[in-house]
Amino acid sequence: MKKVINTLNAPVAIGPYSQAVEANGILFISGQIPIVPETGKIIEGGIKEQTQQVFRNIGAILDEAGYEFKNIVKSTCLINDMADFKAMNEVYSGYFPDNKPARAAYAVKDLPMGALIEIETIAIK
Amino acid sequence: MKRTFIIIAVLSLIMSFTFNMGAQEKKAVRKVITFDNTPVKRPYSPAIEVNGTLYVSGQIAIDQLTGKLIEGKIEDQTRQVLKNLKNVIEKAGYTMDNVVRCTVLLSDIAFYPTVNKIYMDFFPKDPPARMAFAVKDLPMGALIEIDATAVK
Repeated sequence: MKKVINTLNAPVAIGPYSQAVEANGILFISGQIPIVPETGKIIEGGIKEQTQQVFRNIGAILDEAGYEFKNIVKSTCLINDMADFKAMNEVYSGYFPDNKPARAAYAVKDLPMGALIEIETIAIK
Repeated sequence: MKRTFIIIAVLSLIMSFTFNMGAQEKKAVRKVITFDNTPVKRPYSPAIEVNGTLYVSGQIAIDQLTGKLIEGKIEDQTRQVLKNLKNVIEKAGYTMDNVVRCTVLLSDIAFYPTVNKIYMDFFPKDPPARMAFAVKDLPMGALIEIDATAVK
């Protein structure tokens, strides 16, 4: 059945959503923005720093749920500016050296808290 | 000798039968969730159910009786969207509690706090995982669209 994942190592939700929900052996992780868990604020820096923080947050949630990056089957990457696509990909690739997940990526109008990037992921063990 | 042969034959028959049963169970059954008034020409279904997972199409604030976008502000549209979502989910025999993830698309990021307040009324406990952001445009000039995935 439905299991809610909660960890203090990832940012607390800024709205009415769970960090992740696991059901039927599938882990649905909420879209992560580059909030630093300790401060509750967006990390300082550009797209590279923000993408790294997003992955730190995803990693903490995966860890709490007992999953790994290699279990991610699908991701959706939202960026605020298509010009950040290449830099985002450079950081992204580091987390998926092989067996890269299926992915959709596109530029949106605005992200919560003025973030430059948001990544949603689905993992299956 | 003859008896051994019969036993082996019967055993292999039983094994092949159970094997086939297993294979049948694994085949995905796709069920389309639709309504009497769902427009025939629309190129998507309200929802598709496969193997205990329900994929619900993005809902905008369409009045189910008129087929038109409702008049009103973001509060009204959000409530209508969530009502439409609930309607599809319940038609499929699922509940809002079965929802595991949602995508919230806004025409303006400034709607975020207002939407959250209304959204909470529909998911009061253990809310689904979610992704929310502002897009350039939504169909029919809608202010908000929400899609959902539910698992029973």
